[in-house]
Amino acid sequence: MTNSESILYPPLHIRLYSVWYRHMRVYTKNLLSNGFPPFIEPLIFLAGVGLGLGKYITEPMGGVRYIEFLGTGLLVTTAMFTSAFECSFGTFIRLEFEKVYDGMLAAPMTVNNLIVGEMLWAGTKGFFFSFAVLCILSAFKIVILPYGLLAPFVGFLTGVMFASLSLLVTSFVKTINHFNFYFTGFISPMFFFSGVVFPVENLPDFIRPVTELVPLTHSVRLVRAVCTNMYEPILMYDLIYILGFIFVIGFIAVRRLEKRLVN
Amino acid sequence: MNTTVINVKNISKSFGKIRALRDLSFSVEAGSCFGFLGPNGAGKTTAMKIIYGKCTRDKNSTDHMDIFGYDPAKNELAIKYLSGVVQQEDNLDDELNVAQNLMIYSKFYNMPVKDAGERIEFLLDFFELSDKAKSKIRELSGGMKRRLVIARALLNSPKLLILDEPTTGLDPQVRHLIWDKIRQLQKQHTTVLLTTHYMEEAFQLCDRLLIMHKGRKIMEGKPADLLVQNIEQYVLEILDTDLIRAECRDISQGNIRIENAPGVMRYYCNDVNALKDFAACCMESGNYMIRQTNLEDVFLHATGRQLDDKQ
Repeated sequence: MTNSESILYPPLHIRLYSVWYRHMRVYTKNLLSNGFPPFIEPLIFLAGVGLGLGKYITEPMGGVRYIEFLGTGLLVTTAMFTSAFECSFGTFIRLEFEKVYDGMLAAPMTVNNLIVGEMLWAGTKGFFFSFAVLCILSAFKIVILPYGLLAPFVGFLTGVMFASLSLLVTSFVKTINHFNFYFTGFISPMFFFSGVVFPVENLPDFIRPVTELVPLTHSVRLVRAVCTNMYEPILMYDLIYILGFIFVIGFIAVRRLEKRLVN
Repeated sequence: MNTTVINVKNISKSFGKIRALRDLSFSVEAGSCFGFLGPNGAGKTTAMKIIYGKCTRDKNSTDHMDIFGYDPAKNELAIKYLSGVVQQEDNLDDELNVAQNLMIYSKFYNMPVKDAGERIEFLLDFFELSDKAKSKIRELSGGMKRRLVIARALLNSPKLLILDEPTTGLDPQVRHLIWDKIRQLQKQHTTVLLTTHYMEEAFQLCDRLLIMHKGRKIMEGKPADLLVQNIEQYVLEILDTDLIRAECRDISQGNIRIENAPGVMRYYCNDVNALKDFAACCMESGNYMIRQTNLEDVFLHATGRQLDDKQ
């Protein structure tokens, strides 16, 4: 028997949207407790280091006041953290403990749809928390509007970028404790050596190439340019790096998770 | 009238060295309930997963799959769109309430919000969950969760309902309620694929039954036919083998077949009087039972009484 009538299963954008919608509904159910760390942590850091330590830093950093330098960097680190947690611990729990994906994959969607929808959701979180921190920074005149309004878009790209990386890491992880290597071994050092807290230009020569290789450096340069409205040619490279990273790493992550979810 | 909607020929599946399915073939008619019966690790769930695209079958040029006109290897989305799947785990979203859990899934099928709302109301009523619509998942009993998962699978009014051990671990009331609902769905021409290791469930629901063991089909047919064709009509069970008079042990009495399992002696025969006579002369007291054989006897006879390493 062959069926000539074609079945009208939902088109691609609806499938991606429905995954996004699922994550949005589940996440916002506990928005206050879920959103507390990505919103408050950058502010604590800004207050502790920016106001406290920053008092002793009288030299401008990267051409701006230190509090501005640090504040703009924190706009993307919050996106990085929220996305990295979502697509590591969050993904792993949905994958292994709650078996949420098994149920979702019985509905008309492919693993590809599921993972890309998840990356878009992580990007949305990056956008949202960049925006939330931006509101505080602009209230204290640390970032001047309207230039800063582009920052959440950099937050979105940062979110998607770290989603693709974290999903790739998750595809290798067998027990949830393995994420410690990822966070303490990769994410934390990157926070300090990507130009968020101090400029990378003055780091020793042997570290410089490494800072250019890791993803956060490019987000930071981009967001700072956006906030200070100072654009340089190198930003094109940063943008291409981020987009290339998302496509290449995202592609491999989808492939690997496909093997894990459909056996 | 009876059109074949599922046609599967010679599919196999290996996980590394383990051969989960070996040349499995079966076909299912529209509106019927087709059951897979087998011990844990027999390959029932793998067969289901291959149908709805959660597993891929081994590449093989002689195999063939047609699920409502589609091959899962090529058209997984079409098959998923017209099927409802109930998996073994109750994978509900704990953060959301009962109605919200269903609402999320209605988006996966691109149902308009209004239609989805009406459908959800109907399904909650159908599964007697209406007053739990706003309850948290944590507050539900195991039986309620199960009913909700089945309701979720029915959101898009599937032509094919796949139930992977739908009543495992449930109490008899809930089990009977679920059986009743499945029968009602069948009357509305939903085709049902069911895996179970409850013989009664298989007997109650299935129009046809396929018994699997170690990835192979070992028999297939109507439940009643399987009984008649594969096992004697009656069995005499003696739980305390010490009570059997010594001279009667291992003596074959005409057409009585003896099965000696650890701790239990079973004497099978089509003639109930022969078993009665045998029991009367061999047993000291009335410490025995004669009953009709059932699917469990067929099943154990076919798959063996020993556990294998996958169980």
